[in-house]
Amino acid sequence: MTAPTQSQQRPGAGQFFSAIPGAGILLILMLALFTIANPRFVSQTNLVNVGLQASLLLMIALPMTLIILTEGLDLSAGALLGLSGVIVAEALLAGWSVFAACAMAFAISTAFGALNGVLIAYLTLPAFVVTLGTMGLMQGIALVMTNGDPVGGFTPAIETFYRSQLWIFPMPIVVAVALYAALWLLLYRTRLGNYVIAIGGNKDALRLAGIRANLVHLAVYVLGSAIVGLSAVLLIGRTNSAHPTVGIGMEFEAIAAVVLGGTSFEKGQGWLFGAVLGALAITVLRNGLNILSVDSSLQVVCIGILLILALLIDRARKHYSR
Amino acid sequence: MTIPATLDTRSPSLSPDALALLGRLILIVLIAGALTAVDPGFASVSNLLNMLRQASLLFLVASGLTLVIIGGGLDLSVGSNLTLSACLAAAAIKTTGNPWYGVAVAVTSGTLIGFTNGLMINRLRLPPFLATFGMLWVAQGAAYWFMAGQTIYGMPMSFRYFGTGFFLGVPLPIWITLVVCVVCSIILHRTTFGREAYFMGANQTAALLSGIAVERRRLLLYVLSGLTAGIAALVYLARLNAAEPGIGEPLLLPAIAAVLVGGTSLFGGSGNIVGTVLGAILLTIIVNGLNLLNVAATWHPFVNGAVVLIAILADFIVSRRRSESG
Amino acid sequence: MPAATAAGGHPADHAAAPLLRLIDIDKSFPGVHALRSVSLDIHAGEVHVILGQNGAGKSTLIKTLYGAHAADKGHIEVEGRRVAVARPADASALGIAVIFQEFSLVPYLDIAQNIYLGREAAFARFGLIDSAAMHAAARTILDDLGLDYDTHAYAADLGVAQQQMVEIAKALSQNARVLVMDEPTAAISEREAERLFATIARLTQKNVAIVYISHRMKEVQMLGDRITILRDGAVVTSVLRDEMSQTEMVGAMIGRPSGSQLARTPRAPGDPILFARGISTAKLSDISIEIRAGEVVGLAGLVGSGRTEVVRALFGADPITGGEIALSGSRAPTTLDARVRAGMALLPEDRKREGLALPLDIRDNATVASLWRRFTSGWFSPAAAERDTRGLIAQLGIAAHGTHQTVRTLSGGNQQKVVLAKWLAAGSRLFLLDEPTRGVDVGAKAEIYRLIDQLVDGGAGVVVISSELPELVQLCDRAYVMRDHRIVGHLDDDALTERAILELVVHQ
Repeated sequence: MTAPTQSQQRPGAGQFFSAIPGAGILLILMLALFTIANPRFVSQTNLVNVGLQASLLLMIALPMTLIILTEGLDLSAGALLGLSGVIVAEALLAGWSVFAACAMAFAISTAFGALNGVLIAYLTLPAFVVTLGTMGLMQGIALVMTNGDPVGGFTPAIETFYRSQLWIFPMPIVVAVALYAALWLLLYRTRLGNYVIAIGGNKDALRLAGIRANLVHLAVYVLGSAIVGLSAVLLIGRTNSAHPTVGIGMEFEAIAAVVLGGTSFEKGQGWLFGAVLGALAITVLRNGLNILSVDSSLQVVCIGILLILALLIDRARKHYSR
Repeated sequence: MTIPATLDTRSPSLSPDALALLGRLILIVLIAGALTAVDPGFASVSNLLNMLRQASLLFLVASGLTLVIIGGGLDLSVGSNLTLSACLAAAAIKTTGNPWYGVAVAVTSGTLIGFTNGLMINRLRLPPFLATFGMLWVAQGAAYWFMAGQTIYGMPMSFRYFGTGFFLGVPLPIWITLVVCVVCSIILHRTTFGREAYFMGANQTAALLSGIAVERRRLLLYVLSGLTAGIAALVYLARLNAAEPGIGEPLLLPAIAAVLVGGTSLFGGSGNIVGTVLGAILLTIIVNGLNLLNVAATWHPFVNGAVVLIAILADFIVSRRRSESG
Repeated sequence: MPAATAAGGHPADHAAAPLLRLIDIDKSFPGVHALRSVSLDIHAGEVHVILGQNGAGKSTLIKTLYGAHAADKGHIEVEGRRVAVARPADASALGIAVIFQEFSLVPYLDIAQNIYLGREAAFARFGLIDSAAMHAAARTILDDLGLDYDTHAYAADLGVAQQQMVEIAKALSQNARVLVMDEPTAAISEREAERLFATIARLTQKNVAIVYISHRMKEVQMLGDRITILRDGAVVTSVLRDEMSQTEMVGAMIGRPSGSQLARTPRAPGDPILFARGISTAKLSDISIEIRAGEVVGLAGLVGSGRTEVVRALFGADPITGGEIALSGSRAPTTLDARVRAGMALLPEDRKREGLALPLDIRDNATVASLWRRFTSGWFSPAAAERDTRGLIAQLGIAAHGTHQTVRTLSGGNQQKVVLAKWLAAGSRLFLLDEPTRGVDVGAKAEIYRLIDQLVDGGAGVVVISSELPELVQLCDRAYVMRDHRIVGHLDDDALTERAILELVVHQ
C-alpha cells in the first residue's frame, strides 16, 4: 500500500507517461490504426473536425467529471442540452436579445441542477434514478415546447459565433479549452475543488472540518447543469437550429469519456484531464469509423467495447502494479 | 406498507404488503372513476381491455426488472433489449416465414443481453447502473445498425395473434401477462431462488455469510430480466406488426416508474410482482386519462419522469419511517 | 501562514491545575448507561492511558470530549475554566483533537490538502490556493514530527501508520494541546508503532497532553504516565504507572477477580471436524487449530488480536494466502457457500450488518441458510418454512409475535437467537460463534449457553470467541489464546483458568 499505485496520478510531467490510462493507450493505437487504414484521417480538415466534435463532447464530460468525483452521476445532462437549446432558440424567436435568451437558459438549467442536487445531496437519493427522472421532465418540456420539431430561423449571431475563430483556433475549441482551464483551476486550485474530491472520498471528514458538505454537493450539480445549459448555445450554433432530442445519448458518451479517462465511480478518485483523453478517444473512434464508412449506430457499440477494453487494461495494470 | 411491523400479529388479517396493494387498487379505481365522470366512454369494455393490453406490454418489460430490483440490482437496458430483440425476431420471421424462429431469436437475444449484464457486474465489478446503462446504448446502437434505417413490417397472421388475438374474449397479451405474473410470483415466493433474492436485496453481506452463492443468483436475475424483455419484444412486435429501432427506449422510464409505483423499493429486499402489475395499470391509466383530457402525447416523457421522482420520494419516506419505527 | 509550529504554550507544571478536566460526566442512551459520573484529570506533557474493554465507555467518553455527544450531567474544564463543548468545532477551538480509528482523511487529496482541509482560506490569494505556501506549511509540520513524507502524496497511497501520522500532523496544525488517540496501534505493525511512540515522546516534550485509548498492556506500560481503567462506563481506578501491576490492570479491566471458578463437566470429544494448519491471511500469520466433534473450543485474546479474522478465514469469508484447512478429514472446499453446505456456520460479531436482513421477517432470516437443504428440489413451501420457523422459535425460546415479525423489531438477544436458528436449521456441525452473548440480556445469555451445550451433546464442534473471561472459562473445554494476530498459547483441562489466559494475553 505504501508504494504509490501506477494509475491515476495527477498529470505531473515525469509521471505522465507511466500514468497513461487505458484510454491513452487505446487513443494512440486508434490514431495509428486509422492513419494506416486511411491517410485522409490525418488531414488538417479532418483533425480540425475531430477537435470540434471533441470540444462539444468535452463540454458535457468536464462537468460530468466533477459530478462523478462526488460518487454521483447525471443522466439528465443530454436531455438538458436539448432543452436548453430549445429555450434559447424559442426566446430568440420571441425577440429576446441573445444575452437574455442565454440568461433564461442558464436560469432554467441551474434550477434543474438544483433539483437534482437537493434530491441527491440532502435526501441522499440515488443519483442515477433522480437524474433519470429529471431527464424525463426535461425531455418532456423540450418536446412540449417544440412539438418534437427542430426550431430554426433565429438570429444567425449564434452560428456566426460558432464559426468564428480566435486567431487560427475555431471558437468551440477555444471555449472547450477555456472551460478546461477554468475547471482545472476550480478543481485543483480552489477550496471548492478540494471539497468536491472530499465529497466522493470522505464526506464525513468534510463535515468534521466544519464545511457544509451538502451545500457543496448541491453546488456541484448546479454548476454542472449551468455549464451544460450554456454549452447548448454552441450546439445550436453548429446547425443554426435547435432540436429537442439532439442531446439524447450525449450523457452516455460523456460518462463513457470520463470513465475511459480513468476516473472511478468511487472515493473521488480521478482527474480532469482523463475526460479530455476519453473525449478524444471517443471522437477519434467515431471519426475514424466514419472515414471507414462504419454506420454511426454501430459506432455506439464500438464505444461500449472501447469502454470495456479500457476498464480491462486499467484492471490488469492495477493487478500487475501490486 | 406504512403499518409498523409491530402491529403484525400471529394471525394477521391483512399483511402490510396486502394493504399496500389494496391501497394501489383503490387509487386505480378512484382515478378510473374520475375519468369515467369526465368521459363515460372510458369505462367501456373495449376501452378498458385496450388499456389493459397497453398495460400488459409495460408490465412485461417491468416484470424482470422487478426481480432484479428486489435482488438489490438495477437494469437500465430493458428498453433497448426489447428494441434489439424485436428487430432481430422480426428479421428472423421475415426471412424464414416461421414465427417460431422469431420466438427463439427474441428469447435468445434477450437472455444473452441479460447474461452479459450479469457478467459485467460480477466479473468487472461494475456498478449495476453503469453496466446496464452501457448496455442500453450498445443494444440500441446494434439495433439501429442492424435495421440500417429500415422498418420491418407485415408479420404473418399466426404470429400477430400473440399481440392482437383474443382468447375467451380477453386479448392474448393480457393472458401472457397473467402467465408471466404467476410465474414471477412463483419464482419469488415458491422457489428457494426467490427467497434468496429477497435476502440478497435486503443485506448482501449477510446473504454471502449465510452461504448464498450471491454471484450465481445475481447472474440468474439479470438473465430473467433479459428473458422477459425478449418476451415483451415478441408481444410488442405481434401487436405493432412492425419493428424499428427506437420502439423500446421510451419504455425504460415507465418501466422503472411501474416498479417503484408498485411498491418495490429501489433499495432492494422488498416488493412483489403484483404491485408491478398494478403500477403498470396505474401508469397506463394516467397516460390514457391525459389523452382523454386532450393532453398532447409529447407530455408523456414529462409525466413519466415526474412519476419516477414522486415514486422514489415516496419510497424514501416510507423506508425511512420504517427504519425509524424499528 | 498559520503558526504551524506552535504546539502548546507554557512549560509543564504538574502540580498546577490540570490542562483538561472532566468532572462527573454522565451519559445515558436508551437502555444503556454509557458513562457513570466519570472524572478525569489530564495534564500537559503527560500520556494519560485509558484502558477498557469494548463497551466500557471509551468511545462515548471521546465523543463527549469532542462535542459529538452532549453529556447529561457534569462538565469540562480547560485550564481551570469551565467550557462548553457542544460541537466538534468547539473542541478544535479549545485545542482538543481526536485521532479516530476510522481516519478522517480524504483518499484522493494529497497530504497538504488533507492537513488543511476546511482551512484553505489561510493560503488563498484572489480565491486561488497558493499551493506552494500550503505545501511549505505542511512540510514544516511534518519536519517538526520528523516525517519525511512527500506532501504531494495522496492519502490513498499511504499506509495505515502513515495516515495516522498525517492525522497527528493535522491536529498539530490546529495547535492542538490535547491529542486523543483511539487505539492507534490497532492496525499498524510493530515497527510503525515504535515510530508512533517516538512521535508521542516528542509531543509530550512539547507539552502536548496525550489521551491514549488502548487495551494493550505493553503499550500502557511503555507510554502511560497515568492510567485510568474504565469498566461498564465507570472509572474503576486511576493510578500512576508504577502503582499497579499489569495483571492487576487486566483484572480491573475485565472486572472479576480470578478465583471462584465453576466446575466444568468434562466432555469426551470425538473425531476431528476441522483441522487448520499454518493459515495465513492479510491479517493473520501461521494459525493452526483443531476442533473435534463434541467439544467447545475457546478463542481468547483482547479485541483486535485477530480472533475474528481466524473464524472468518476458517469460514471462507477472507481469502487465505497460505496453509490448509481440512474438514472431516478431507480438504475443505474453497468457496464460502460450499463450506456452509459442508456444515460450517458463522455467527458474526456484528449480527445486524453481517448476520441478519433486518427488514425481513423471522421466517426469511431463520430459513435462509437451510433453503438448499430443506428444499432440495428448489421449490419453496411457505407452509413448511412456517412450520420449521415455529419449531425453531419454540426450540430457542424466541420472544416474538409470530413468524412474520420483522427482525429489526426484535431485542438483541432474540436477534441473536434468530441467527442461531438459521444455522440450526442448516444442520451445521461446526459452529463459529463470535461474541455470541454480546449485547444480550442475562436470560438470553443462559439460553445461549444451554443451546451450546445441546449442540455439543449432539456431536457438533463449537468455537467461541469471547471477551469475557469467566464466560470463556466456564463454557470451553479448551482454548487457544491469541495476541498480535498469532496464537500464543493453548490451555486445556485444569490449565484453562482466567489467570492463565490473562498471563498469556499480557505476556510480552
